[in-house]
Amino acid sequence: MAVALDPAQKRRLFERLSSVREIVFGVQDGVLTTAGVLAGLSGAVHGRMEIIMAALASTAAGALSMGAGAYLGTRAEVEVIRSELARARREAASQPYILQEELLEKLGQEGLSRESAYRVVKLLSASPRALLTTVEAKLYGLGSAGGNPLLDGLTMGAAFLLGALVPLLPFIFVATVHNGLIAAMATTALTLFAVGYFQGWLADRERRWLSGVRFLAIAMGAAAAGYLIGLAIAPLGAVPSL
Amino acid sequence: MLKPGDFAPPFDLPCASGDRIDRLALWQITTEMLVLFFYPRDFSFICPTEVMGFHRRMAEFRAENTSVVGASVDSVDSHLRWIRELDGIDYPLLADEQGRVARAYGVLDEARKVAIRATFVIDRKRAIAFAVACPLSIGRSVSETLRVVQAIRSGRLCPAEWKPGEAFGPIEGDL
Repeated sequence: MAVALDPAQKRRLFERLSSVREIVFGVQDGVLTTAGVLAGLSGAVHGRMEIIMAALASTAAGALSMGAGAYLGTRAEVEVIRSELARARREAASQPYILQEELLEKLGQEGLSRESAYRVVKLLSASPRALLTTVEAKLYGLGSAGGNPLLDGLTMGAAFLLGALVPLLPFIFVATVHNGLIAAMATTALTLFAVGYFQGWLADRERRWLSGVRFLAIAMGAAAAGYLIGLAIAPLGAVPSL
Repeated sequence: MLKPGDFAPPFDLPCASGDRIDRLALWQITTEMLVLFFYPRDFSFICPTEVMGFHRRMAEFRAENTSVVGASVDSVDSHLRWIRELDGIDYPLLADEQGRVARAYGVLDEARKVAIRATFVIDRKRAIAFAVACPLSIGRSVSETLRVVQAIRSGRLCPAEWKPGEAFGPIEGDL
């Protein structure tokens, strides 16, 4: 039975899942990269252990790289947001009418009459804090000071690792390369569909299965391309004996 | 933007005067001087300080035989509601909805289709005697406009920072 959340519940869920972007991105990238590596190496290399070692190395490098990337990205974002918020707050303190006029223009562009917009801004101006938070949200699209770089980095790295295990574990535990690859692709497909479905649920789409199928199609397309590229470059690895 | 010495373009526009709709033309103004000030929009957070500033000093402008008229591209109905919002003002607001008068005075922001913040003092010959424009973030000084009116009406050379009652500058031939 589908569980429908009301907007307040969904908002609380979003607040709890503040790292949802990192989780979805990390899992998807971990699954996809590792499945691609397995598929590509299965086309190019015949040794099962070689493939597993290469996939493990790729997983470790990917998790560290993605974690570091998320850390640096969030840190840069937080710095930019903080600087912009500080500027807005200085302006609110020294020249509130500039923010009032900017908000007035914005509300007018969004369809309010000049007079209605004026009254809304005037009401908000009764509380400098209310005016400032509205300006931050409406003019700068900023609701908060951004994420936590360390948390985002760790979440992204862990999510990548978790995603990577999805195709890797079946490949390790199934005896042959061919069957291992089939098992890896099956678990990959199921996981990617589930991630897409989860995204559809978060976005409150009616046809969530379609989100799952789209996610799956894009990801499996990339994996298939990896396998074909592996097949194409395999002859380059065959060094002729002198 | 027009400069001192230029001919003041005539206008004949609907206006909000007190709590009624009227019509006002330049030729109908019988006072010796006229302060015509343009402002961007009704219902704004910068303009009311100026609109109310002129309202509070109207007795002093009248004492100088000077009328004050405000103008923006808003409709006359908007002006009426704006005047009510401000609890009444003691001079008319012109509804230059097409921006023709603002354009004639060279103060229409063509991109935004609103008048910039500009003030003209028009003399008894209906020529521009004084012109000034301010950026959005700086309100005009009503005191300075009044001082300029008083200086022009004195008919004398007025040095920097001159105020009524203070000594006039050297006779014209000394400049």
